[in-house]
Amino acid sequence: MKTVVIAGYARSPFTPAKKGELAGVRPDELAAQVVRELVARSGVNVDDIEDLILGCAFPEGEQGLNLARLVVLLADLPQSVGGLTVNRFCGSSMQSVHNAAGAIQMGAGEVFICAGVESMTRVPMMGYNPLPHPALHAKLPGAYIGMGDTAENVARQWGISRDQQESFAVRSHQKAAAAQAEGRFKAEVVAINQGNRSIDVDGCIRPETTAAALAELKPAFDQAGSVTAGTASPLTDGAAAVLVCSLDYAEKHGLTPLAKIRSIAISGCAPELMGIGPIKASSKALERAGIDAGQLDVVELNEAFAAQSLACIKDLGLSEAEINLDGGAIALGHPLGATGARIVGKAASLLKRTGGRYGLATQCIGGGQGIATVLEAV
Amino acid sequence: MSEIRKVAVIGAGVMGAGIAAQVANAGLPVVLLDIVKDGAVSRSGIAEEAVQKMLKADPAPFMSKAAAKLITTGNIEDHLNLLADCDWIVEAVIERLDIKQALYQKIDKARKAGSVVSSNTSTIPLASLTAGLSDDFARDFCVTHFFNPPRYMRLLEVVTGEKTRPDAVEDVSRFADIALGKSVVACKDRPGFIANRLGVFWMQCAVAEANDLGLEVEEADAVIGRPMGIPKTGVFGLIDLVGLDLMPHVMGSMIGLLPDDDPLQAVRRDMPLIEKMIAEGYTGRKGKGGFYRLNRAGGGKIKEAMSLATGEYRPQIKPDLEALSATRNDLKGLLSFPDKAGRYARRVLGQTLAYAASLVPEAADDIASVDEAMRLGYNWKWGPFELIDQLGAVWLAELLTAEGVVVPSLLTLAGDRTFYRTQDGKRQYLGTDGAYHDIVRPDGVLLLADLKLDRQPVLKNGSAALWDIGDGVACFEFTSKMNALDPDTMALLGKSLKIVGKQFKALVVYNEGSNFSAGANLGLALFAANIAAWDQIEQLVAAGQETYRALKYSSFPVVGAPSGLALGGGCEILLHCDAVQAHAEAYVGLVECGVGLVPAWGGCKEMLSRWSAPGRLPNGPMPAIAKVFETVSTATVAKSAAEAKELLFLRPTDGITMNRTRLLADAKAKALSLVDGYVPPQPIELSLPGESARVGLQMAAESFHRRGIATKHDLVVAGALAAVLSGNGADITTPVAEEDLLEQERAQFMRLVRHPATLARIESVLETGKPLRN
Repeated sequence: MKTVVIAGYARSPFTPAKKGELAGVRPDELAAQVVRELVARSGVNVDDIEDLILGCAFPEGEQGLNLARLVVLLADLPQSVGGLTVNRFCGSSMQSVHNAAGAIQMGAGEVFICAGVESMTRVPMMGYNPLPHPALHAKLPGAYIGMGDTAENVARQWGISRDQQESFAVRSHQKAAAAQAEGRFKAEVVAINQGNRSIDVDGCIRPETTAAALAELKPAFDQAGSVTAGTASPLTDGAAAVLVCSLDYAEKHGLTPLAKIRSIAISGCAPELMGIGPIKASSKALERAGIDAGQLDVVELNEAFAAQSLACIKDLGLSEAEINLDGGAIALGHPLGATGARIVGKAASLLKRTGGRYGLATQCIGGGQGIATVLEAV
Repeated sequence: MSEIRKVAVIGAGVMGAGIAAQVANAGLPVVLLDIVKDGAVSRSGIAEEAVQKMLKADPAPFMSKAAAKLITTGNIEDHLNLLADCDWIVEAVIERLDIKQALYQKIDKARKAGSVVSSNTSTIPLASLTAGLSDDFARDFCVTHFFNPPRYMRLLEVVTGEKTRPDAVEDVSRFADIALGKSVVACKDRPGFIANRLGVFWMQCAVAEANDLGLEVEEADAVIGRPMGIPKTGVFGLIDLVGLDLMPHVMGSMIGLLPDDDPLQAVRRDMPLIEKMIAEGYTGRKGKGGFYRLNRAGGGKIKEAMSLATGEYRPQIKPDLEALSATRNDLKGLLSFPDKAGRYARRVLGQTLAYAASLVPEAADDIASVDEAMRLGYNWKWGPFELIDQLGAVWLAELLTAEGVVVPSLLTLAGDRTFYRTQDGKRQYLGTDGAYHDIVRPDGVLLLADLKLDRQPVLKNGSAALWDIGDGVACFEFTSKMNALDPDTMALLGKSLKIVGKQFKALVVYNEGSNFSAGANLGLALFAANIAAWDQIEQLVAAGQETYRALKYSSFPVVGAPSGLALGGGCEILLHCDAVQAHAEAYVGLVECGVGLVPAWGGCKEMLSRWSAPGRLPNGPMPAIAKVFETVSTATVAKSAAEAKELLFLRPTDGITMNRTRLLADAKAKALSLVDGYVPPQPIELSLPGESARVGLQMAAESFHRRGIATKHDLVVAGALAAVLSGNGADITTPVAEEDLLEQERAQFMRLVRHPATLARIESVLETGKPLRN
């Protein structure tokens, strides 16, 4: 079978929805600028690209229609490049990587751009027209459960205290702030141009945050609960993209592979506990890779909520020292459709940077799923 | 005559910033400047912070957040060039003559020729302000004295200097009237002008007499408040509001300027208690407390008052005064009552009314100006001369003589005549020449109260009346208590629609109550519910629906003209009008959910139809439904007509009148403008998604409940509202007609009105005036 590699990673800055600098930027434009820059940085021959696979959790309005094809056209890629929009909610753009990997292995293309985007400013979470199926809602209310409520459920069942969540959130901000201060995001962040403005700084990170400050916040979803805006990932605008190709192709065309894809997995769970999705998905992926959690050098675990992150860390037997080295979604933000591409690209980059061997990127998905990708140094 | 298109305000304190906000509320660009503060990060920081502070203030100086964008902030060192295209420059800086005059020098260099400059001074005579300045400047200069807060207080005192060109004052007065909504009262250049001259005298007198007679503050305020038509804060509560420290300052400046024989000199006292309170920081509501305070010591909340007898705080007392209980609503009786409270009323009101009478023509040209100033500047229900008319000038003169107070000549001049009378359908006042003169309203001012003097209603019952207001236009007036709507209102409206269709061209729905309508009469509804008269309740709901629908589809245009609260059914009638001309201070909302009900006189269907209009919100069936659900389930009330437009309680094309007294004329003109080619609106037909939308809304409500924002019964009410707005069982492929929506409103209303938690809410509102959060 062909070996599939990640041969490039770029993302826009992530900024808070409504009040951040990207609030005024259309999501299609945002994605196109990131894709254009990824292509330029990687040096790939655009005529070789088979398809642009783009994840988006609420594909309507400005991020509607077949967004991927529109981004191909906006990014001035050749018309021969296809465009496929995929939706697996928060796992959408990790799914786009999986789609590409599968296609490459069955000889259905050599080079893919796997991207994701979400403007949580310009298209609201749940979309403009949430219309739940009444019968399903009656049968299984959790099918439409709010994300914050699932975090409360996980916090309760896994016995994760508010203090624990808050110190986890503070650490995420500290790691991200340190990475920002040391210029560690420079290699991945693409400046987004709008009019005469150039937006190139992440906007969600709060270096000054303390556990004491977070302790002041009111519960955001349940007045008797423990989850606050400070221990949840913020609503965010952003886009991310990775270049996925066969190792052969990368070597032949002088591209720089960051990491190989060793295995992938999807797994469903109770919608009310969607935050624990990564546990089963990661276990499956690790098993398929033939390694155990102890062998991981780098883990990118999406921090949808501190509560579910801590539950996953506990059950997977991970150590916090190898997780989210440059901060996670609580600090950086979680533009739903873009996150998967970010954490796959980030984990691959970190393997390269740290010289580690195995990496894991995994995330939970609304509706009750987990998705995981195991990477290995080239 | 030149039009004012751009204004500058210099001085971004409470008054200056508030004046700038009101100009912005009128839709005009305004420059707001202040000094550069030493060491400040931003050189325009004072003005910038003032705007930010106003955006958060409650009551809000801005009618809409969008208005704040019309203010350009700056400082007087870098930005005087911004004055160059301003037509009116208002100075509202600290009350120091040297500082004001130095500023005028700068303004004079920066302003364009012919621009008007005015001072918002409350204590410095105009003659002193312009002394030493060029004739050019003096010609363009006047005093415009606003009251705090400038958005809400309707009085503007204008003082014309000897050199002021008359058209400068005319331009500013017309602008203040039409654009800013102020009633302009011309004052002479005398200390304190009119309102503060009399107001300060009255406050000083009330404090001194309470002290002399040994009354407690609660007793004094009970006597001074309601019986005299004065806000229930009385005098000590008012002093707490304006600040104890302001009183000696204003008194000092007026005492210094007034002659020795002015009665204000005689009521002045040294007040060791007040001096002590100020020194200790008890300066009123802005300080640690005033004559009244909320003692939060030990985590409690105890209402306390300062005892004038002991000089210590103690728990508030509920005054039990025979003088009040025995003379209810009888001012003359109160003033003649033999006890301490009666004597207090006699001393304070007697001296105050005498002082008022001495101010004409000393400070005001006529009595009407004094009355207007006190009504609008101090929120008195009656002006001093209206109060004298309640007592009789001769009776008052006798009282004054008995109390050893000099009887002013104006009282003697009046003799056994009243100060106001109605002659040939015109209201007249007694002039200093001893003759009666018509009260002349400015052009464009039309008052129902004036019209009523020379005509009878076309129709009338206990809750409403129909008037002929000329030019083929009729006016439907609510007349019940709080203008609450009941079966009589609906019956008369039904009859009126038939008559207007035959005898008039258009209809205006308008009244001159402080509130347009507080909504349906909840007392009646509760009474009917208590005797389980469900059929009657349903009939009332149906009657409202039918009447409002008849109004909407009548063959003539109908214009609603609200001022003050227009809630529930009072909002729903506006939603059915062809157009609305609203007073800027109209507070519109569908508040039914607050009492555990849903709007059922067509409010849901009209709001849904408005928000569903193409282009307002993203496509699809939910955005409009969700928006109406959010607005109605939270009983949102727009805090201005501008905000009502944002919430679509008013249409973007509806008109806003800034000056309350111009509302009827504007509404009438709007109605007449719709007459030619009038076609009734098309019936509503909406595509609604039914059950799935209901489930979606219910889920949203449940999440609010978990967050602790929505109560248990809120969930029930939200569920009923969701049923109406989703089209209850509708399908997106089959449009829902207006009648179906009305039927749903009625069905859900009837379901809720039987709910004990709803009845508990209604009872609470009726008994305490406060909503019950059950």
